[in-house]
Amino acid sequence: MGIALTPRMKNWIEALGVHVATATAKGFPTVTVAEKCSVDNDTIRIPVTPGQKDQIAGNLSENPNVALAPGQLGSVRAPYQFKGKGKIEGGELVVSVQQIYCTKPGYEAGIRLDVMGYDQMREFDESRWKDITPPGAR
Amino acid sequence: MAKLTDEMKDVLKIVGKGGAVIHLTTCSAEGVPNIVAERFVTHYKDEYILIGEMFAQKTKVNLNENEVGCISIAHPVKGHSWVFRGPCTIISHAAPANYRWHGIKAGEALDEWGEWSTKEPPDEVPPDIAPPKLAQRGIIALKVDEVYSFAPDEAGKKIL
Repeated sequence: MGIALTPRMKNWIEALGVHVATATAKGFPTVTVAEKCSVDNDTIRIPVTPGQKDQIAGNLSENPNVALAPGQLGSVRAPYQFKGKGKIEGGELVVSVQQIYCTKPGYEAGIRLDVMGYDQMREFDESRWKDITPPGAR
Repeated sequence: MAKLTDEMKDVLKIVGKGGAVIHLTTCSAEGVPNIVAERFVTHYKDEYILIGEMFAQKTKVNLNENEVGCISIAHPVKGHSWVFRGPCTIISHAAPANYRWHGIKAGEALDEWGEWSTKEPPDEVPPDIAPPKLAQRGIIALKVDEVYSFAPDEAGKKIL
């Protein structure tokens, strides 16, 4: 079952994109980077170029597991990791998010957030961060 | 094996010295990837990248069963759209000084980079991000076998 992203998670990755990790069934990883994406509840839609599609379609056909991390300034100020299942739909990689982790360095590194449930996850987020939207984003 | 260029070496250092935050990707033997940002990064010799091993959890589990990783430049990118891929491991402080992994001697690498928070303290990190305590347990080492571009219009293009 999927888990909805909080407003802060959504705002940061929609504005600054994500690094996308996929792998072969035997665990050989590939990273692609998207500068933007869109979030709807528990689904992240990432536009992919033909070259990016070539890079990841083979992996996804044998192994749908995907991990995403915020790009650009989000790699510093939005310490999340999203794990789920991905598939290519037209010109997009569509990821259904199933697990969300805190990756903030320190004692909270690695905490699994999605198990808190949406309300507590949002409270966790908003109690720690004032920048619910990245600088310069609308 | 690929040799890092001078331009790459200039980016593969901490942000406070003009480098970049990077993402490290590893993968379980069953194919579940894991990706986390890292601040303590440096090139090492001509073909290695080192990362401070401080809070690695899933990364450590993955590397113990599947010794491969990717490092992608995260922030600032400034046109350096690079992914470095190759064998990857953790060299623990508990490793004997004469332990060798590929061309790295554990004792030499740990003498130089084993106390990273003292050598390059995270002074540029904002207080709401900086961890209250740093305890380094070793180094993560990646031997660069290949470098490819992640620029959207040339994704996957081999650079080295």
